[in-house]
Amino acid sequence: MFQRLIYEDSAALFTVAAFVTAASIYTTIGWRALRMKRPQVERFADLPFVTSTPPARHDTDSDHAA
Amino acid sequence: MSDQKITIEFNDRVVRQFLLASVIWGAVGMLVGVLVAAQLNFWQLNFSTPWLTWGRLRPLHTNAVIFALVGNMMFAGVYYSTQRLVRARLASDFLSALHFWGWQLIIVAAAITLPLGLTRGKEYAELIWPINIAVTLIWVVFAVNFFWTLARRREPSLYVAIWFYIATIVTVAMLYIVNHLSIPTSLTHSYPVFGGVQDALVQWWYGHNAVAFFLTTPILGIMYYFLPKAAERPVYSYRLSVIHFWSLVFVYIWAGPHHLLNTALPGWLQTLGMTFSLMLWAPSWGGMLNGLLTLRGAWDRMRSDPVLKFFAAAVTFYGMATFEGPLLSIKSVSALAHYTDWIIGHVHVGTLGWNGFMAAGMTYWLVPRLWNRPLHSTSLANLHFWIGIVGILLYVAAMWTSGITQGVMLNATVEHGTVLAYPNFLDTLNTIRPMMLMRVIGGGLYLAGWFLMGYNLWRTIRGAQPVNGTIEVFADEAPPPVEKLTLVGAFFSPPVIYSILGVGCASAWMFGGDLLSIAGMFGLMCCVVLAYVHFEARSGKWADWYDRLLVNSMPFTILTFLAVAAGGLIQIIPTVVAHQAANVEDRRQVPYTPLELAGRDLYVREGCYLCHSQMIRTLVPDVLRYGDYSRLGESIYDHPFQWGSKRNGPDLARVGGKYPNIWHFRHMEDPRSISVGSNMPNYPWLLANALDTGTLPAKLAVQRTLGVPYPNWTPEQITARVDAQAGEIAQDLRTAGASVAPDREIVALIAYLQTLGHSENLGPVKAAAR
Repeated sequence: MFQRLIYEDSAALFTVAAFVTAASIYTTIGWRALRMKRPQVERFADLPFVTSTPPARHDTDSDHAA
Repeated sequence: MSDQKITIEFNDRVVRQFLLASVIWGAVGMLVGVLVAAQLNFWQLNFSTPWLTWGRLRPLHTNAVIFALVGNMMFAGVYYSTQRLVRARLASDFLSALHFWGWQLIIVAAAITLPLGLTRGKEYAELIWPINIAVTLIWVVFAVNFFWTLARRREPSLYVAIWFYIATIVTVAMLYIVNHLSIPTSLTHSYPVFGGVQDALVQWWYGHNAVAFFLTTPILGIMYYFLPKAAERPVYSYRLSVIHFWSLVFVYIWAGPHHLLNTALPGWLQTLGMTFSLMLWAPSWGGMLNGLLTLRGAWDRMRSDPVLKFFAAAVTFYGMATFEGPLLSIKSVSALAHYTDWIIGHVHVGTLGWNGFMAAGMTYWLVPRLWNRPLHSTSLANLHFWIGIVGILLYVAAMWTSGITQGVMLNATVEHGTVLAYPNFLDTLNTIRPMMLMRVIGGGLYLAGWFLMGYNLWRTIRGAQPVNGTIEVFADEAPPPVEKLTLVGAFFSPPVIYSILGVGCASAWMFGGDLLSIAGMFGLMCCVVLAYVHFEARSGKWADWYDRLLVNSMPFTILTFLAVAAGGLIQIIPTVVAHQAANVEDRRQVPYTPLELAGRDLYVREGCYLCHSQMIRTLVPDVLRYGDYSRLGESIYDHPFQWGSKRNGPDLARVGGKYPNIWHFRHMEDPRSISVGSNMPNYPWLLANALDTGTLPAKLAVQRTLGVPYPNWTPEQITARVDAQAGEIAQDLRTAGASVAPDREIVALIAYLQTLGHSENLGPVKAAAR
């Protein structure tokens, strides 16, 4: 079945196949992502903030002497 | 539901353990890195000692940085963020502890065995088979702990960071197991089941995707959690993160063959690898921009906040590395860059800039929260950042310059392209010496910054009380109901069915014979049309399936696995089936004699493949310098393959017979006595150590099992053959003025080197059948 791989130079075909595969993935996922509803997107994006985190405030604390 | 609330305490103990382990092992790994960089400048730093030699320490450096620094950092980040994203404590404290201590034991075992020369001889997959089994078991422990936690989650939706973690767990398991399939010959030695071109393909399928799924996807998950937390604002575009994830998962896995461009790897695989690598530009840069734009409105805080500084720089380096990677995957760019320091520079943009800075940023963010104490010194953390960034820039600029110089000089020709401009390999080495020194300084600065972080953390933690994060939940709070997606429902859905049919037809079109190929082409066209029609008629069903997938972790995991497995299978299965010794044309390797096989194992033990390739590319300068280009069949029995990935020294594919035995003897004893200016270590122990021939019967038996056509020799016959060949070489050396016993290791290594490039000529008749 795979004999052609040894005898034939199919470089052009594989380039096209690779491009079509990747392009169809981008198109499908891009379409799917764009179709997500705004409330759904906002809910997902806010998930890291559902659990509160204690502050560390590097930006306001002066150097802390031990 | 009652109003009573209970407090859940997260398991942050294991996070603290992994975090500190990451810092400590990171320092060790980078210290060894600076040492091996210095050894390239000053050969004396090898100390003529086996376990301090470059070829044995370099795998220690790479394994320590990948699996100890990034591995521990990844586990810390995954465990911290997952517990909070799913609002549940890690499922098992026992499994968490087993994961931590098991991983540390593996690292210790690697740190002991690699300097002893116990290696499988494959880059980033050097660890011997008992450690491979331990890694697999501990990875399973990690997976069980992670998925068990997901099963107990109180948050139904899976944030994109969790997607990246899932992809990491399933893909690394697949890659690691396939590339480490071996048959043991003893407790510490084995031969990989794949050989020659098959081993090369599997190795770089693993090697490239170890970068993708061990050094990139988990760190991207960490980025999508910790960057919004540090910037105190949600990710810039969640939609873009979705595209980023699926594109990487589908496309990354195909790109491995770009490590083997212009070699004897079949052309179709090189083309696939190059094209898919170029496709990676878009999602990688989408992810980078998403990360940087998350910092919108927080740029002013970067002046004083070291965490944001590290994160911003890390994401920028991710963008640089993922721009450079596809660029280097273009065949003509690879012709210049491959085997040179440019690749080393590229790798360190990723590890020092992306992984190292993400680790530092995450550590500085986590430590004050995990020990409930402000960072000891923000100024020191900022100093760490600036020292680190100067170190990286010095390092990569030096390596880019060095690599391009090497590529240009080694490829330069005169007399209308018929004569090499720099025939002596050492000309390039001596030209790049200043850059090699600059690399040591750059690496040293980066390491100094890391030590500063270690000191800062120690001062912060000392006397502090560790604290575990908590959340309050309702006592009888059950996860909100989600629309279940059974495994059957996940697979027997229009998107999956059409995808599988499409891939099947495309494979038949590309790989099949005449009729099958035509059927595959028409099948693919029908599949696309049918899928489009079905989608137009039932788009709601397609959307519903996808939405349910996002809240059902097990079907999501299995389909992610199928997505990554497809790329590997389509590349590996045809190669394994078609490119066997029986199908080889033109030239076929002659199996090594027992003595040569023993010599080859010494070559692997000393890590010679890390500096010397055995692959003359299909490029004019390579052929002019090293001889006729390498054929696929000339290494078909090599378990493991030794094509190499870097030329600190010249290619050895056709070194056999090029020099007399005494040349190799003197060269291994003191390389500078033969090649003035060489930076190769001395190997005096090869002249002193007796060759272990007791293991040869077991090794030959395994080679036979793997398909190498050895007769079924008795141990006595093997010994007689070894003695006869070793006696001839020792006698020749004696005649040339070097007295050495025939049972010394150097004799076996010379036997191996002298056979390189010798193969069976299958004649032009079969080749003409093309």
